[in-house]
Amino acid sequence: MTEQKPANPLEMVAFVLSRQIKDHQVVYVGTGLPMVAATLARKTHAPNITLVYESGGQDPIPGDMPWSVGDPFTWRKSPIVQEMTYSFAQAGNGYVDIGFLGFAQIDMYGNINTHMIGDDFLKPKSRLTGSGGNNDLSSLNENMVLVGLQSPQKFVKKLDFMTSVGHLAGGDSRQKAGLLGKGPLAVVSPAAVFDFEPTTKRMRVKTLNPGVNFDLCQLASGFELLKPQGEIPVTEMPTPDILEILRNDVDPRGVFTSMPS
Amino acid sequence: MATFDYNKEALDNLKITDTSILDRLVDATSAREAHLSKDHSKRDKRVSMNEAVAEFVKDGDIATDSGFAYVRTPHQAYFEMIRQGKKGLHFIGSPNTNQSYMINFGVCSYSHNSYVGAEMRGTDRNYSRQLKNGKVTILSEWSHGSMAQGFKAAQLAMPGVFSKQLLASDILKYNPYVRTMQNPMRKDPDPVVFVPALYPDVTIIHVHAADKYGNARIYGPIVNDTALAASARRVIITAEEIVPEIDIRYNNKGVVIPFMYVDAVVEAPYCAVPGNMPGHYYWSRQWWEKFLRFSTLTDENLTEFMKYWVFECKDQFDFVEKLGGAKWVAMAKRLTKTTEYDNEDDGYDFSYEEYKPGNETGIYY
Repeated sequence: MTEQKPANPLEMVAFVLSRQIKDHQVVYVGTGLPMVAATLARKTHAPNITLVYESGGQDPIPGDMPWSVGDPFTWRKSPIVQEMTYSFAQAGNGYVDIGFLGFAQIDMYGNINTHMIGDDFLKPKSRLTGSGGNNDLSSLNENMVLVGLQSPQKFVKKLDFMTSVGHLAGGDSRQKAGLLGKGPLAVVSPAAVFDFEPTTKRMRVKTLNPGVNFDLCQLASGFELLKPQGEIPVTEMPTPDILEILRNDVDPRGVFTSMPS
Repeated sequence: MATFDYNKEALDNLKITDTSILDRLVDATSAREAHLSKDHSKRDKRVSMNEAVAEFVKDGDIATDSGFAYVRTPHQAYFEMIRQGKKGLHFIGSPNTNQSYMINFGVCSYSHNSYVGAEMRGTDRNYSRQLKNGKVTILSEWSHGSMAQGFKAAQLAMPGVFSKQLLASDILKYNPYVRTMQNPMRKDPDPVVFVPALYPDVTIIHVHAADKYGNARIYGPIVNDTALAASARRVIITAEEIVPEIDIRYNNKGVVIPFMYVDAVVEAPYCAVPGNMPGHYYWSRQWWEKFLRFSTLTDENLTEFMKYWVFECKDQFDFVEKLGGAKWVAMAKRLTKTTEYDNEDDGYDFSYEEYKPGNETGIYY
């Protein structure tokens, strides 16, 4: 048997995301790593989950990795394909357990930006995709997990644009603003896994990935991270078996989990 | 004539001084008038693509991006709009991805924006550049779901909906149409966002089959298209095939658009190319990769790309020839049917070589 290469940072993120999913949950998924994570979860510890996509597909029978959220793999022999308004409404009406979103920028309360970089909306330095379903899921879903790269340019004191509300200004400000759901539960980066301190709702390091210490993690953030009491645990690593499944069955061509060359 | 009260902060932020440009999208009265004044008779509405676009798409219209960005989206009708030199349209849709390539030709000048891009395939740098160059003006900013609620409200003939989306986000500061209110049913504080019913001028919807009257059948994701067909002032149906009315009557499981909405019916096989048409053809993945990774980089690249794919094609058949002709058609059909599990997938390999500059294979997998 050839020796197995250790998990790269993207494989690590996919694995950590997959562990956020519990068996029998209804999971709202977007493209990329969330899709990889959901598929990995289904092939490992959570074989009975149901996937929902904003293009309308839900509960597809398993196939290859979708090329996009509109790919027929997302509604492969689905019992029903929902219109967009009805699909988001399932999250609003309490039928979805967990969802995943990406971001270009995030602040200490888990509010996120997928709109633009720069300080002038009309003439941005860089215009990004806009909300898509990001704001909808953030506003409606009971539990959200956020995933993205970590650097001082991405973990920022002030967002250039608040596309989606996480814990807003902390405390109970999200609930007061009338939003549904608990707000983000966790943030997953290639360096660490974060949760939110229950009272202030500020982002807090939960576990550190192997080779990362708190100071390094803080250095890669533009805002002050909260430190938990006591020693910070190391993030759970995928076992060789799980890594095999990820590489051979989930994303065999490495579309989402191979490092850019 | 109805008059409208717009969100002042958003008008200031978007630097909109003459608000009359915003009115038609929320003018339910004029949309109803337009629907009333149509010829409601059940009659043969078949015309060519050229005629449909020439007659029913007008300069300055609020037009929609339908389907789901590159699923069942009538790209070939959009390309015909470019070839005919349509000017100054507003584009609206969730997603609103395809507005981008129309800006460079003056077809799209205004945007009701929800999403531009192709997810993991890369960002659309053309849209970003045209925004900075002032070639496109954003009139309102949305999320997918809130805009979809506006279309749905129009379909239901309701003035609007109270939404739990957009609350407390910056999107509210850049959308003159929406505002935060107190839920009138509640005594305790319960903020909601009022989203008005949205009425585009014209929508083009690509379907699997239609009869000559405009009854139209869709397979796979509907997304927002039943609502768009119900609300738009003018509706063009493009169809992979025209079937006898009796076929629609006896196979009525997927009929989602009734004929009375429809102004024109176009027999248009491959109208969704280079996108995916469920049951018929998978998207050309390399075409989209080349679009994002080559053509959006500079204005010159986009001009060169669109010259080859739009101006040097008179219709979708020329386009399909360039993708790889009959071989491409067979492969694209096999791919979508395998994806949908109507063809055997055991042993089928979905791998392909992604587009990289300089690496042209001759077939756009």
